[in-house]
Amino acid sequence: MGTMGLALPWKARITSAPREPATVGRWGTRVEPSEGLAGGPVKAAAVPASEDATLAAGCQSGDLHAYERLYTLHGVRMKNLARNILGSMVDAEDAVQETFLKVQRSITSFRGQSSFATWTYRILINTCYDARRSRLRKKEVAANDDAEETPRPEPRAPAAHPTLRMALERALARLTRHQRDVFLLYEVEGFRHAEIAAMLDTTETASKNTLFQAKKNLREMLEPPRPDRVPA
Amino acid sequence: MTCKDRERIFEDGTGAEWAALEAHAASCAACAEEVRAWKSLSAAAKELQDYSPNPELWTRIERTLREEGARGTQRAERKGWFSFLRNIPVGWQTALAGAFVLVLTVSLSWILVIREPGDKPGKPDSSLLKSAALREVESAETAYEKAIGKLATEAKPQLDDPATPLLANYQEKLQVLDSAIADLRAQAGVNPSNAQLRYQLLAMYQEKQRTLQEVLEMKKQ
Repeated sequence: MGTMGLALPWKARITSAPREPATVGRWGTRVEPSEGLAGGPVKAAAVPASEDATLAAGCQSGDLHAYERLYTLHGVRMKNLARNILGSMVDAEDAVQETFLKVQRSITSFRGQSSFATWTYRILINTCYDARRSRLRKKEVAANDDAEETPRPEPRAPAAHPTLRMALERALARLTRHQRDVFLLYEVEGFRHAEIAAMLDTTETASKNTLFQAKKNLREMLEPPRPDRVPA
Repeated sequence: MTCKDRERIFEDGTGAEWAALEAHAASCAACAEEVRAWKSLSAAAKELQDYSPNPELWTRIERTLREEGARGTQRAERKGWFSFLRNIPVGWQTALAGAFVLVLTVSLSWILVIREPGDKPGKPDSSLLKSAALREVESAETAYEKAIGKLATEAKPQLDDPATPLLANYQEKLQVLDSAIADLRAQAGVNPSNAQLRYQLLAMYQEKQRTLQEVLEMKKQ
């Protein structure tokens, strides 16, 4: 891998200072040192495991306040993840609503094998991909177009580096689904590899490897053409 | 620490390995640029964070959860009567209904044919209706039957084409009740003064009325 010179306005502006290593993750467990240093979850709000269990119990008993608490803790993050998968805020909100409904319908099947939040995000991700498939089917019926459906991001709230965001969204759309999911969950939403593994039904090692491949591919896509690679 | 270790550390480096890579990068321009670019990608990912809340979203979700909760409760209440039938194959359900009618018929026959001859002659039978009372009962019975007939007419479209398994269960229950009512009415034709027979008929009519009301309530919802 050569030296990267990204053809983006953020090259000089974004700080490259290493992040503070986090000592405690959101679910009350220790975060691996490499995750904190390499750009892992540092911004996530601490939600102790006991609260997660209380939430699960509350939802199992049909307590709407428990669902409201779940929404307060995870609603905006769920919506943001759905937005990045689906490319539309309206679709993202529908997906979050559908996820809560699915949680309510299938709460009796939650056995506590993973954290309640992880289980909920797993439902959300599946709901998002169901929505994408459904959208693709509609599109196929309408236009008889068999091209792979990729999210078409719609305008959203102003960001510090809008050009960078758009370039990143376009590059993400070209990754495989698995690479995109891992990148979004780890780098954007700040989940740990153990949590991602539980959400995507994979292993922690596979999650780390997928993230590495995703970042390598993103760099390739965002890197400007280098003089030694330009065709004559 | 050498430049060759860099990618492995990017993929799965420990805190100590990252510190060593940083130290190495201080004197290696290529690694310094790679580390900076790698971290810049993580920093850039934060551009995809848009955590602006939508206060209306929870209201929407809450309403949906309440509606679903209410539907779940209604389903559970309605399931009570014949919920066990769902686990039984249709063939067995038919056999069960047949057995029910058979038991009912045998019971009535026992009341009419076997028990009555055993009654001591000479003693007035309190279970027999006198002619004036009989006319009154028959008149009330006819009026009641007409009223239930109206209910049955209203529920007919739903029952003729049951949209749910629950409605199909209701339809089968009503068929069993109609069969039992027809049987009892035939018996009552042979022995019109038998009060017990009339009570049984009344109970069947009441059950049919309740069932039809439940079907019509489902229609309203």
